[in-house]
Amino acid sequence: MRRPRFRLTTVVVAVALTAAACGGTSDTDSGDGQVSLQFVLFGDAAETAGYERMLEAFESQHADIDVTLSPVASQDELLAKLTTSFAGGQPPDVFLINFRKYGQFASQGALEEVGPYLADSDVLDPDDFFEVVFDPFRFDGETLTCMPQNVSSLVVYYNQDLFEASGVAPPIEGWTWDEFLATAQAITDGEVYGLGTDPSLIRIAPFVWSNGGEVVDDLEAPTTLSLDEGTAREALDWFLDLSLVHGVVPPDVEEQSESSESRFLNGRLGMYLNSRRVTPTLREIDGFTWDVAPLPVAPGGQPFTMLHSDAYCMAGPGEHHAESWRLIEFAMSEAGQRILAESGRTVPSRRDVASSDVFVESEAPPPSAHVFVDNAEILRATPHTATWTRVEKAADDVLEQIYYGRIDREEGVVRLIDETRPLFGAGG
Amino acid sequence: MSTANRGAPTRRSEATAGARLVQGAGTAGARLVRGAAWYTAPFALGVVLLLVLPALTTFYYAFTDHTGLGDPNLNGLANFRRMGSDPFFHASLRASLIFAALAVPLRLFVATGMGLLLAAPRRLGRWYRAAVYVPTVVPDIVLALTFLWVFNPLYGPMNGMLGALGLPTPAWLGTPWGARSAIVIMMLFPVGEAFLVVLAARRSLDPSVYAAAAVDGASPWQTLRYITLPQLAPLLLLLAARDVILTLQVNFVPAYVLTDGGPGNATLFLPIYIFDQAFEFLGFGYGASLTLVLMGITVLFIALPLLVVRRWGFLRR
Repeated sequence: MRRPRFRLTTVVVAVALTAAACGGTSDTDSGDGQVSLQFVLFGDAAETAGYERMLEAFESQHADIDVTLSPVASQDELLAKLTTSFAGGQPPDVFLINFRKYGQFASQGALEEVGPYLADSDVLDPDDFFEVVFDPFRFDGETLTCMPQNVSSLVVYYNQDLFEASGVAPPIEGWTWDEFLATAQAITDGEVYGLGTDPSLIRIAPFVWSNGGEVVDDLEAPTTLSLDEGTAREALDWFLDLSLVHGVVPPDVEEQSESSESRFLNGRLGMYLNSRRVTPTLREIDGFTWDVAPLPVAPGGQPFTMLHSDAYCMAGPGEHHAESWRLIEFAMSEAGQRILAESGRTVPSRRDVASSDVFVESEAPPPSAHVFVDNAEILRATPHTATWTRVEKAADDVLEQIYYGRIDREEGVVRLIDETRPLFGAGG
Repeated sequence: MSTANRGAPTRRSEATAGARLVQGAGTAGARLVRGAAWYTAPFALGVVLLLVLPALTTFYYAFTDHTGLGDPNLNGLANFRRMGSDPFFHASLRASLIFAALAVPLRLFVATGMGLLLAAPRRLGRWYRAAVYVPTVVPDIVLALTFLWVFNPLYGPMNGMLGALGLPTPAWLGTPWGARSAIVIMMLFPVGEAFLVVLAARRSLDPSVYAAAAVDGASPWQTLRYITLPQLAPLLLLLAARDVILTLQVNFVPAYVLTDGGPGNATLFLPIYIFDQAFEFLGFGYGASLTLVLMGITVLFIALPLLVVRRWGFLRR
């Protein structure tokens, strides 16, 4: 008689516990009719501070919406957090994600497309934005999937004091690969290196484009990397030569011991390739002056740079799309983008804010912030297919090994193509 | 004589107590069992909810195309066929096996060596023992960050030391074997639990045997070889089995922080590859099937030595 009751009690306790555990997270409407939104992004403290200020301004205007900001430290962690929360059925209402990374979510139909919301909006007009940022966020090529907040690009950060000390002229628009290399060589001297950059696909891409090459065989439906032939290979070799032949970048052991970013911060690196993302950190420099310049152009080639853009996405299975859109609308409005531009982190995707005092005429460095705005004319993007994240990860691993001379160049280029090819069509 | 006299009544009272226990087994014993069931219920519930159910779900997902986003569809053995032609899986399997082959014997050697060395009472002995145990209570992430500094090729103490001795200073985390060695070296430190087990076991060995060995003029090496190790063998085997599980499955955090699978997939251990597949690339189904493979390998690695030594007979003790 006693045993069955024991089992029954166990089941009751189990059900009660499960119900309690589930109940705690599914309730997003608090008693007073206020809607709670969860907003996820990645970035360090300096980067997320601007978003906190933007949300404060939003909440003061929308008393019925309460937004919780949940930042994570890195892009990888962002993907892990999104995946687990989607799988658990509790995705964040709104999240910021790069155009190279959202494809794997969009391909699963996990996102609520923002296109129709933008078409119905009284606040936002697509003409107010740099047109170039929309295409990478149209997953199917037509409807806008996510709302791009920034139009950052790859630029050359340079240490003005080191340039002066080495007697080289500051970079000017349209400078060539040869001038770039000569500058790096002039600065490289013992402890100081002329240039620092990640040897990654997104850093190499603009050099390939400038030389008239392509990174993949077909931008819409890529099946392989195309860096092993023609002008693309020429550009890849030129990039690899910076390390393997000219030695103007910190070699393997040096880079492992101290990252290029840290080297630049400490005044021992002449030029550093990065996007706008690093600006809030570089603003902490007080030992020397620095500025930004456009990337150099290939001999007889066209100027190109790489787009770096994140967009606000709405999770498909959410209940609060209307409220989420109001948050996105505010973040994309002039007021919202001004707050973020002041933080230094973003290159606003709105033309009016990008050309305003908070961006191009900001007191804080870089003085030549207009370079980012000018770059909007010469931006290109890598593909944004469902498996692009995996292609990049595999490619970067091989590129790093070639760049630092750990493996033979020819063997490496063959591996680069062979190892990434199966990933283009790989299933989930 | 006097000892025997004093011992006799004790033995009799033990016998009566035993008889009473047998008599009462029908009622008190049953109550004891029921009580135990009640006391273990919360734990059992936790195990079922948090371990058994997810493990069963993993079994199911392994045969689906689950992405974590939509509804999973059964796809038979497609995930396992994919492993056959997945070069990253092959690299990952290789990395895991090399690591286990290096780390398990070395970790066991360090834990046993330290345990036996520090078992005997000595001056400052408790400080030495604490020092050996401390790295075990250091969180994984702190351990990894510490060793990131230790293996810094220019500013780290490891190369500083090697350089001072006139030895070559490798670019540790930049080369496949450097990175593998670095992780093995790092994992030689958190061995406190096995160390404690060996320490306790050594102290419980009968001192009269050692006294007899000393009288017979046995050298320290002979004592170790013919007295200590044979008595500890069952325990060492158990520790080895446990360490196989640890090195195959629990190296995730330190390896993720130290090398993130690189360079050239040399340290892309299975747990890291599974994490990448499931959580970065939305391959829950594939990740689940990889997890099954990892479980299978672990079981195999534990079962094989156990089967081999079963005929030694000591496992029954």
